[in-house]
Amino acid sequence: MFNEMYQSESVIRNHYNNINDWLDQMTSKVILEKNAEAESHFRNIGITFSTNNETARERIIPFDLIPRIFTYTEWLRLERGVIQRAKALNAFLADIYNQGEIIKANIIPKEIIYKKKSFEPSMFGFSPPRDIYSPIIGIDLVRTGPNEYFVLEDNCRTPSGVSYMLENREIMMRMFPDLFHNNRVTPIDDYPTRLLQTLMSLAPIKCENPEPVCVLLTPGPLNSAYYEHSFLSDQMGIEMVESTDLFVEGKYLYMKTVDGPKRVDVVYRRIDDDFLDPLCFNPQSVIGIPGIMDVYRTGGVNICSAPGAGIADDKAIYIYVPEMIKFYLGEQPILDNVETWNCEKEQELKYVLDNINELVVKEVDGSGGYGMLIGPKSSKSYIDEFKTKLSTNPKGYIAQPLLDLSFSPTLIKNQVEGRRVDLRPFCLIGEQAQLSSGGLTRVAMNEGSFVVNSSQGGGVKDTWVLAE
Amino acid sequence: MLSRTAEYLYWISRYMERAETTARLLDVGYRMSLFPNPSGYNNEWESVLSAAGAIEGYKNKYDTIEQKNVEDYLFFDESNPSSVYNCILNARNNALVVRTSFTPESWLAINKTYQEILNLKEKKFTKSDLPDLTEWTIEQVNLFRGSLSSLLRNDGYNFIFLGLFIERADNSARLLDVKYFVLLPKPQYVGGNIDNMQWSILLRSLSSFRAFRWAYDGNITATKIADFLVLNNNCPRSLSFCIQNIVKHLTNLTCSPLKVGRIYDNLKDLNTKIQEEKIETIVEYGLHQFVTQFIRKISSVDNEIHKEFFN
Repeated sequence: MFNEMYQSESVIRNHYNNINDWLDQMTSKVILEKNAEAESHFRNIGITFSTNNETARERIIPFDLIPRIFTYTEWLRLERGVIQRAKALNAFLADIYNQGEIIKANIIPKEIIYKKKSFEPSMFGFSPPRDIYSPIIGIDLVRTGPNEYFVLEDNCRTPSGVSYMLENREIMMRMFPDLFHNNRVTPIDDYPTRLLQTLMSLAPIKCENPEPVCVLLTPGPLNSAYYEHSFLSDQMGIEMVESTDLFVEGKYLYMKTVDGPKRVDVVYRRIDDDFLDPLCFNPQSVIGIPGIMDVYRTGGVNICSAPGAGIADDKAIYIYVPEMIKFYLGEQPILDNVETWNCEKEQELKYVLDNINELVVKEVDGSGGYGMLIGPKSSKSYIDEFKTKLSTNPKGYIAQPLLDLSFSPTLIKNQVEGRRVDLRPFCLIGEQAQLSSGGLTRVAMNEGSFVVNSSQGGGVKDTWVLAE
Repeated sequence: MLSRTAEYLYWISRYMERAETTARLLDVGYRMSLFPNPSGYNNEWESVLSAAGAIEGYKNKYDTIEQKNVEDYLFFDESNPSSVYNCILNARNNALVVRTSFTPESWLAINKTYQEILNLKEKKFTKSDLPDLTEWTIEQVNLFRGSLSSLLRNDGYNFIFLGLFIERADNSARLLDVKYFVLLPKPQYVGGNIDNMQWSILLRSLSSFRAFRWAYDGNITATKIADFLVLNNNCPRSLSFCIQNIVKHLTNLTCSPLKVGRIYDNLKDLNTKIQEEKIETIVEYGLHQFVTQFIRKISSVDNEIHKEFFN
């Protein structure tokens, strides 16, 4: 097991020395007070979320006061690895919606791509500005050793969590200003500006405006990431719109304003493909902007991420990302994939069934930590339940070994204890490719737990990247 | 600015203003309940309910008018659209959507208020808590209004204040209407207990009790009070003050001069009339008729604002 702070039982890693001193001089009383302060701050700003089983009151994600720290050199490697991956994923999308070279080269079987629901046939033969399909990519990483990082999954559609990254830092700076005097923490608060620059650099061909008009399209206040939508649009100074605020007229997209219609150039959409355009996707959908796909395809507007970008983060495609990196970029992958068994293949299914006690089984279309099996931690009856599921619907599942996620010191009832963490940094690709100088560290607050999802009792931490 | 954003901003300040009016009415009712009830005199809670426009809803729910129930209905009841709770809830839901269009302080003011009223609502309150509750409400609304001072003076700002003054004009007018009978012209000095109480209710519920004393010397007369609440441009709750501010924020809008022009055309007669009118003429004409017309006009301006800007 790898501990982020302790090199051994008695030796603290250098870059955690300051934090260790700080922890030593914090009394239980201060910890209690600061925890309460953080909670009330999050409640007041309204950074709340809802889960599948909705209770009356909005919930806030538990926030842990101890930051997770990366050294400059550690981060440099992650940065290169994530950007490399994000570039390859975009190259893959550009390829499969056009020539399909990777299929012709027999690297990825075509049925894996073209039969997927997340593949969008109407995108075929169309190239978005700069050939960027997915300008904002969130990569979920775990660490198992000093230099061992694995990518758990890619998020190419509308990755969320960046507002937590930013708000966690804000609250830390507010509560513990001295920490930031004594440590050289790379700032992250320019993320919204960079996001806006990225979006503006992806203006559609028919845009005549030197400062393209961008909007953020949200499904509305009931969406669990609504806080993030309003937070980001606020920080970027762009309108947050719902689909009823938009309409199509004469090959352009407009929003309804008090001055009358105003043309929109770039839509940063935080809604699913299915709800974009009832004329093109889901005719039953009451949300959506009729005709927007037509405007998109004729260069009147850009939609970020592109419809059909989701195929790139499909769990069945994930297996091939290292191959993509070699194929499109001619480089060796910097970050490793987790070994993955595709249960659709008979051989691999057999292996999974034989070794299920040791494996993690996930639904191909699952998310949020729901509907997964952690073999070593599950009861026999739950495992049997999954065996049946696997046998009846093998293509709905993949399996991976249980990774020994790194431990990070975490305050549990005023005591410092080790809890497992992951990391989601955010990569932006427009005119240039760049990585946020930090990310969202999620922590499994329950002892021994491997699940960091907020819906399953996960918490969050501020994530520091130390300056050079 | 998005039409929907403008609409939500407009309604946030209407809801906050309404929360304050309801709280002030409750405060008045509470004060009255501490005085001995003169025989043959109507229960004051009933007039509080009708001033709050909640008498019908209340009677659907309760058979008798009792302090505890009135308090609960006006403060916390979810079925009363004008309860303080509902006003704050609605303001907060709107603010959630348009928080990007005003300052973080404004959002904080509303969201904190919302978080606190959820806690208040969970606690059972007793009769003697009411002054605290009303004081709390007024404080919260003031916090919100204060936060507006740092807003950019753009159209959003003007929509917020249009909402505020439309709501206030309507609230003041309704209150006057409910109480207009005490302002019926009486030549003699009015000094009876009941009248004094009634007047103080009217002034207090418009947060103008002390202001009135500053503004007018000598005896309290019906005409002076009517003048104060209808025509006095220094009184921030008078009908004329509200109209002036509606005109000001309307004509300050930079979007769609055409639309602004259309609404202004509808409003300018009333504005001119109210600035030139003498209170004696209004009283002679009939205060009730005057106020009824005023309410109708405000409502038609509200309709036009919706039609022109929010659709």
